Amino acid sequence: MTAWQDVGSVADLERDGHVIARIDGREVGVVAVGEELRGVRNRCPHHGGPLCLGTVRERVAGEPGHYELGGQSALRCPWHGWEFDPATGRCLDDDSIRVAVYPAKAEGGRVLVDI
Amino acid sequence: MIDCDIHPQVGDVEEFLGYVDPAQREWFRGQGPSLGIPGYSWVHPSSWFRADIEQNGHPPASNVDMVRRELLDPSGTEIGILNGDDAVLVSLMPSPYRAAELARAHNEWLRERWLAEEPRLRASILCPAQDPQAAAAEIRRMAEDERFVQVLLCGGADRPYGEPRYLPIFEAAAECGLPVAIHSGGEGMGIAAPPGGAGPVTFYIEWHTLGSACSIMSHLVSLVCHGTFERLPTLKVLLIEGGIAWLPGILWRLDTNWRALRSETPWLERKPSEVAREHVRFSTQPLEHTDGRDETLFEMLEAAGAPDNLCFASDYPHWDFDDPGFMVKRLPEAWRDKVLHENAAELYGERLGLARA
Repeated sequence: MTAWQDVGSVADLERDGHVIARIDGREVGVVAVGEELRGVRNRCPHHGGPLCLGTVRERVAGEPGHYELGGQSALRCPWHGWEFDPATGRCLDDDSIRVAVYPAKAEGGRVLVDI
Repeated sequence: MIDCDIHPQVGDVEEFLGYVDPAQREWFRGQGPSLGIPGYSWVHPSSWFRADIEQNGHPPASNVDMVRRELLDPSGTEIGILNGDDAVLVSLMPSPYRAAELARAHNEWLRERWLAEEPRLRASILCPAQDPQAAAAEIRRMAEDERFVQVLLCGGADRPYGEPRYLPIFEAAAECGLPVAIHSGGEGMGIAAPPGGAGPVTFYIEWHTLGSACSIMSHLVSLVCHGTFERLPTLKVLLIEGGIAWLPGILWRLDTNWRALRSETPWLERKPSEVAREHVRFSTQPLEHTDGRDETLFEMLEAAGAPDNLCFASDYPHWDFDDPGFMVKRLPEAWRDKVLHENAAELYGERLGLARA
């Protein structure tokens, strides 16, 4: 059973890179990952930081002494820089840590998340 | 018992000069007893050595008989590894050419005057780190003699050893199957950076507290962050005489920073502490005094990989050495076999010539 919830306007998302709403007592945000939207719990599992205020970047990879863009998107917490896969919620440096993620979409100028 | 840190002294300078290329001998003779090795700005206020073993006008540990009598026989040492004493500071000499010759001569002197005389002894290959290509060539040359069991670098350096220009040294060691030992000392001497990280210190006690620990920490962090162990997956490094009580703290700090700053070192796909645990070993000496809190120390060290990453070292004949008998009693019983024997046996492997269990 889906429960699409309104998180904010597409205009706000385009301007700020995120929209955030409180749904059933939890803060949930939506961030843009390229052309796609991802819903993410706005609480970093590390220290409780506002994860959705972070940036989505392509993660840097490479062999020693070389830097490459590795094709992996990363949502980077604005507090301590921990990085998460916005598709799965997996912490990219520690498999044992995850943040809740949700399907999201834009419809009629509104951003919706499926809780 | 395997002792990873015994320091032979050059007792007879003229005899040593016999191992130096005749074309350079006059230069080295002209430098006096120091042989051109940078002198210490911070000097122990009484003596660098245990006072009880300076006998008959000979410097301590200046011949094999003395080392047998004072250390190997009474402690039941099965294998002892000779690490150049002041000689390790060749890498801090302003001239890489003199340094390369002194390192070569020291290796030959060890081979003839020590290893040939006592089957329980092994030695470290001295090399001029300020000229990594020359150092790599000397490593490959000496590695052909199985009694040389590791490469020796000194804690004092102009930059930490993860810097890519030092890579030929580590590549040569890995290629030859040799660990690289980094022994504290020389911080602030010759071409080395000042000790401690906040400019030159005042007292020997400061130098001895900070210099030797901070340089070893710096090399550890540098080697891990530069991905040296990702480049050379078989490489092992032994950090000697930098203390170990700080180890859990520095690894926890490094792991914390790695999660936040990984884009600088994206090749580090594992936590730095995991890399260190696999590739880095530590000598026990000087095991910090804890004012009765040894249990706390050992519990913290366990969190950083002990006892699997600790190897016994006496540092004979220096003033701050750890007596083997005393250390046996101080170590937790469950650690003793690993720390006193097994870890070093695994680190050095077949070059020790020990019968396999």
